[in-house]
Amino acid sequence: MRLHTDYELSPDPVIEYYKKDVDRTLLREHLKLTPQQRLEKLVAFMRSLDRLRTSARKGR
Amino acid sequence: MTPDLVGLLRVLSGGGVRYIIIGGVAAGIHGALRTTLDLDVVYARDPDNVALLVAALAPYDPYLRGAPPGLPFELDEQTIARGLNFTLVTTLGDLDLLGEVTGGGGFDQLRTSAEPVEIEGFECWVVTLPKLIALKRAAGRGKDREALAELEALLEERDRPDV
Repeated sequence: MRLHTDYELSPDPVIEYYKKDVDRTLLREHLKLTPQQRLEKLVAFMRSLDRLRTSARKGR
Repeated sequence: MTPDLVGLLRVLSGGGVRYIIIGGVAAGIHGALRTTLDLDVVYARDPDNVALLVAALAPYDPYLRGAPPGLPFELDEQTIARGLNFTLVTTLGDLDLLGEVTGGGGFDQLRTSAEPVEIEGFECWVVTLPKLIALKRAAGRGKDREALAELEALLEERDRPDV
């Protein structure tokens, strides 16, 4: 399948292989958000990861 | 340190800097779920914009990322004019300032493949999803393949008639 873009991207077999594992349900949910909401969610996730890493270090 | 991505965008847009968001933050704005730790932007290299960029970032102590402390580095107009791409650390987080990007050229060329988004009331320009895919493909980095798979799936989902 050819991607419908202005850049005529032909399918890359390696990318197509990885694409099978993409969780599209999460993408569909994310597409319902505004750009700012998506960015905020990304930042919140990074903060959570940071807290998790800090807690894990303290627990060692 | 968790980067303050929104803060960085606020500083740049609030300072009137002309720039285009690319890389992981652009992917995130388009809906990708992979995390990113730095902000990559392509900036306009005309003297007026460079002066705005220098003024906007000065309060946040921009310094070369990975360089030993104490080097006589100052992000000023002359430094930017002499260089092109700068990987910086600031007190708000890591920031990559790119004068040009492989497959996309400089600001003026990339601007035709960028779209405005509103973040906290500020207008930010972000590279379009198809162009972001083209840039990542042009970079040809093996580590981008999984990210590309997600971006291409995202494009397919976004363009589905029922979405």
